[in-house]
Amino acid sequence: MSAATAPLLDLTAPEVVRKISQRSLVIGAVFAVIAAVLAFIRPDEFYRAYLLGFMCWLGVALGSMAILMIRHLTGGGWGTVIRRILGAAMRTLPLLAILFIPVILGIHRLYIWAQPLGNIEDKHLREHLEKITQTYLTVNGFIIRAIFYFAIWNLLSYLLSKWSKQTDHAGAPDNSERFKAVAGPGLILYGFTISFAAIDWVMSLDPSWISTIFGLLILIGEVLSAMCFAVVVERILFNYKPMSEMLTPDFVHDHGKWMLTFIMVWAYFSFSQWLIIWAGNLPSEITFYLRRLHGGWESIGLFLVVFAFVIPFAMLLSRPFKRDIRRLVWLAAWLLLMRYLDLFWIIEPNFSKTLVLTLADVVVPIAIGGIWLWYFFRNLSLLPLLPAYDPDAHEVLQPAHETHA
Amino acid sequence: MKRERIYGIMAEFDSAQALIDAAKRTHEAGYNKIDAYSPFPIEGLAEELGFHRDEVPLVVLIGGIIGGLTGYLMQYWMSAVDYPLNIGGKPYHSWPAFIVITFEMTILFAGIFAVFGMLALNGLPMPYHPVFNVPRFALASKDRFFLIVFSSDPKYDPAGTRGFLAGLQPRSISEVPS
Repeated sequence: MSAATAPLLDLTAPEVVRKISQRSLVIGAVFAVIAAVLAFIRPDEFYRAYLLGFMCWLGVALGSMAILMIRHLTGGGWGTVIRRILGAAMRTLPLLAILFIPVILGIHRLYIWAQPLGNIEDKHLREHLEKITQTYLTVNGFIIRAIFYFAIWNLLSYLLSKWSKQTDHAGAPDNSERFKAVAGPGLILYGFTISFAAIDWVMSLDPSWISTIFGLLILIGEVLSAMCFAVVVERILFNYKPMSEMLTPDFVHDHGKWMLTFIMVWAYFSFSQWLIIWAGNLPSEITFYLRRLHGGWESIGLFLVVFAFVIPFAMLLSRPFKRDIRRLVWLAAWLLLMRYLDLFWIIEPNFSKTLVLTLADVVVPIAIGGIWLWYFFRNLSLLPLLPAYDPDAHEVLQPAHETHA
Repeated sequence: MKRERIYGIMAEFDSAQALIDAAKRTHEAGYNKIDAYSPFPIEGLAEELGFHRDEVPLVVLIGGIIGGLTGYLMQYWMSAVDYPLNIGGKPYHSWPAFIVITFEMTILFAGIFAVFGMLALNGLPMPYHPVFNVPRFALASKDRFFLIVFSSDPKYDPAGTRGFLAGLQPRSISEVPS
């Protein structure tokens, strides 16, 4: 069925994709130069902002991989139509592995446990760190674990991409079962690796504080930002063939439902973490929120409650809103910004008791983003926007009711 | 003796696409009181029939609001008014502790309102419906697609409507006695 319909539509990515790729590189390069200057004159601020920007864009790539794996398990036209967008984001993982190097270079500036413990004035914290830096939180362990995470993520990405590319040509094998065999364990692996990575890279910024749901909180933020990113990209592509032919209101509706689901889960995890810590009221746990609900940081926290959950939630309840890509895209873009703010609120209060937004906090995430987007759009331009000879391609290439008849 | 009244005129089609096209043309011809029956849900059919709004979401919203308020006020009354308990030195009216139950009650009431609101609005359960007076209608749960124009439609007239439906090239046309 798919073989018969595929040649009717030219599935190659429109020329605009290359153009955006080039422009992103220019923006990325300009901001990277400013970021490099900041790295010399204000290294502390630079590395904090770098971690923030890195986590933002890593989230889009890993979240895209997770949604892609969900699609391989559940099927559905909503996923087939954005498959290549998710795939292009996933294939930025080799770039992100390289972009992780500055975090290692800045490890002594970022993480208190990587500094000489003799300098720490707080006696309890010093004794606590003397124990855990003997076993888990060591510089070598940090680097080895990071290599391990990136190896797993890149392996998953490599396999999923390789089999996907095969289905661009006639006579392609049916890889559905292979996708399933990798996607199931892959999602579990993703859950574990991102939890450990979140602990290593973000939670250990405050090594005296522990939250068992923290890994999942980072995970859900990643898939939320990935779905929002896919919506933004599909909106751009919707101006051109072939996406203008493939993206129906039904698919957009499903993407809107995913966004609603993910912001609800995000709010649920965020609230759970806070409720349990509030109810327990233990000195070792409440430090996280004491920091973040005082000194101006509380305004960011409240802003997130209202503008990353309450209002987007209310908007996404509307069915016509979810079905209209022209309106949904603005909320998706806004939620991407909220993702940045969420990570800002998680990461930066570790370094300052009062609210500060440094120049680096703005410049460095844009620099990383520009370079990342260059690579993403380059990936997107290399493959057709739909694997035409995949058994699932007909879900997108034919209207739903015709397949019934 | 009551004279037998006509409930509507029904046309039978072979495919989902034929039904969608027929619904579209009938609606465009000015008929508003029409309905369609198919063995499976057909995407876009409701829109072609001119069915754009349903009130269930509003009923669900009202249910959710009632449930949320009930849940919160119930806990407030229990914890702060009727039987105040000092828990961990926290104020009697500790709203964070109430959120979980408030949320659950919102979902519970919204769910109950959804089910019963849907039943109230669509009139189910319905032991008798005139369309089953047409023997061929049994095929609607198998592989045929039916479109009906109700006799209550202002534009309805027995001969004209029948002629119009015949122009849609259905497989068969039947009068539905009420």
